[in-house]
Amino acid sequence: MCLLHLRAKNGGINIKFNQFKMMFLAQLKLTLREKQAWFWGIFFPVILMVIFMVIFSGNSDEEFKTEVAIVDPSPNPASEMMLSQISGLPVFEVKSGKPVTRDKAEEWVKEQEVDAAIILPETAEESSVFLVVNKENEQGAAAQAVSGILDKFVQQANLLAAGASPKYDLQYESITSGTNELDYTDFLLTGMIALSIAQGGMFGMVDLVEMRRKGLIKRLRMTPANMGIFGLSDMAMRLLFSIVQIVLLSLIGVLVFGANLYINPFTLIIIFLIGALSFNALGYFFSSFSKTTEAYMGVANICSFLMMFLSGVFFPIETMPEWIQPISAVLPLTYFADGLRESMVYEAGIATASLWAGIAVMVIWGAVTFLLGSVLYKRKAIAADR
Amino acid sequence: MTVLEVRNLQKSFGSIKAVKDISFSVHAGEVFTIIGPNGAGKTTTLEMIEGLVSPDNGVIHFGDLDWNKHAVSIKKKIGVQPQSSAMFDLLTPEENLNLFASFYDDARPTEEILEIVSLTEHRKNHVKKLSGGQRQRLAIGLALISDPQIIFLDEPTTGLDPQARRNIWDIILHLKELGKTTILTTHYMEEAEKLSDRVCIVDQGNVITLDTPSALIEKLTDEREIRMSFLDGEKAAEDADRFSKELESVSKTEREGAALKIWASKPEETLLDLFKFTKENSYGVEQVSIREMSLEDVFIAFTGKEWRD
Repeated sequence: MCLLHLRAKNGGINIKFNQFKMMFLAQLKLTLREKQAWFWGIFFPVILMVIFMVIFSGNSDEEFKTEVAIVDPSPNPASEMMLSQISGLPVFEVKSGKPVTRDKAEEWVKEQEVDAAIILPETAEESSVFLVVNKENEQGAAAQAVSGILDKFVQQANLLAAGASPKYDLQYESITSGTNELDYTDFLLTGMIALSIAQGGMFGMVDLVEMRRKGLIKRLRMTPANMGIFGLSDMAMRLLFSIVQIVLLSLIGVLVFGANLYINPFTLIIIFLIGALSFNALGYFFSSFSKTTEAYMGVANICSFLMMFLSGVFFPIETMPEWIQPISAVLPLTYFADGLRESMVYEAGIATASLWAGIAVMVIWGAVTFLLGSVLYKRKAIAADR
Repeated sequence: MTVLEVRNLQKSFGSIKAVKDISFSVHAGEVFTIIGPNGAGKTTTLEMIEGLVSPDNGVIHFGDLDWNKHAVSIKKKIGVQPQSSAMFDLLTPEENLNLFASFYDDARPTEEILEIVSLTEHRKNHVKKLSGGQRQRLAIGLALISDPQIIFLDEPTTGLDPQARRNIWDIILHLKELGKTTILTTHYMEEAEKLSDRVCIVDQGNVITLDTPSALIEKLTDEREIRMSFLDGEKAAEDADRFSKELESVSKTEREGAALKIWASKPEETLLDLFKFTKENSYGVEQVSIREMSLEDVFIAFTGKEWRD
């Protein structure tokens, strides 16, 4: 009796597992055979990322350099000392490597062959250093930079001349919150991964609208199929698709564009799961009130566009106008992108407070939209009885 | 043996009473057809029986089983082909059948079902590339995968060409040979007459009448419509018209050119008299027929509505 009972129970589990397997396989085939899924899920994010990376991070490794001409009308000890020091500055590249005549230098400036000409003092007593720049380029970055650097250089020379050694000096150091540097390639790569997973969730649930429209949901309800298992297999399929997106985008980012990833796998898995589920819930919510695929795609497009530009996917939020920033602060994609950056670039552990705050925001979005969607589905199920 | 019993079903949506009072019982192995105009409550009735909609009132029994207590057992016992042939368009017939088979613990082998609905040839094509008739056959196949005792076919031939329709009739007749019970709704009177053991006409949420097709037709009237046309043109038709009006069993006539329609309660006698008349006057008869009464006439007589396909 007891044995029989056990066997029956085992049979039930086997059937459920078999159901899950068959449903998962069906979902897999449906996704693989749907050209739209390939385009929007794989091709589109890759193209978008490549375009942005080529445009914005093509020469980020090159340092700022400007070409100048130096005029030393009558060499004297003071001018020679300055000449050797200016030549030693890495940002200046002295054209032809040695001083030229003033006429020659001015001609170069006019023809914009150099960004500026520096005219050294004629005698040791003469204290003016002239800077000649092209009028058209007066406000240009190069002219400004040359003037700034020269200004600082002159100040130091003054101090030296007065016999004082500078008390303060400025040293540049960039600071990031993590252990590793974040450059634009890493920033964009993680942003694109976040965006494509988010879009996968927000657009992907269009299948539900289509299934309902065609009466497939009703059809499945006429069989003993477990709708919970159906939902689970659907979710498993989506997660698998998102993993493909992460791996593919990361490979392109690292191999083609030299992104540097320092991954904390545990944090990444947590952020990935919560983010993916939360955006799927958002898509589920859209599907609950959309009667047609067109209506669904409209809503999904608006949300996806808003988030794409307001959530720091392409550019840091800090670069946006201040009045927009509070909007970014409530969008789930902001925290998903941040979380992915923390876990894929900074190797952050799960225990940081900002990460938990981000997770909380995503969980709230996910839970609220899922509940709203469920309520709307129930209500519609009754209305759809006719 | 009764396999399905439906008693006093009622269902309202808001202020609209879709089903007012529907009762019938279905016997094992028969083809039971429900016909009625659009909005008569056919689909709502079916959906209540299929467990998709719960009735406001009334009883649905599958033998000892009812939806409140034995939902899963009933779902295993019935197979449903809904009006919208809902299936996965990007899967093949074989994959669709295998998927649906996984929902049941004792499903029929997929090859067997493909054979029954003659889709073996197309088993590897995506469903979206199938023709309307093939899709509809697959929908029936999906309903058969669990080897159900009772099969619901909701307008399986709507929109199909005559050949595809005939293929589906063959499947339904085959199911009957296998001893299955089929509950069918259709828009085609001819189909109901040909396939059904019993026909149930519903209108405005009520059962209007229920019997075998021939019994329903007999119930109508004894009167038959005789059609006759003459080789000698209008003159002959006019004379024949005048002559037949004087016959006792003729209630009414109608003439259009050389064609004459005569309604007679004793059609054999009337025909004899008519032929005697034409022979005497040596009029040539081009065509003569007695129109058979069909379910369509039954439908019109009971509902007072024209039938539209």
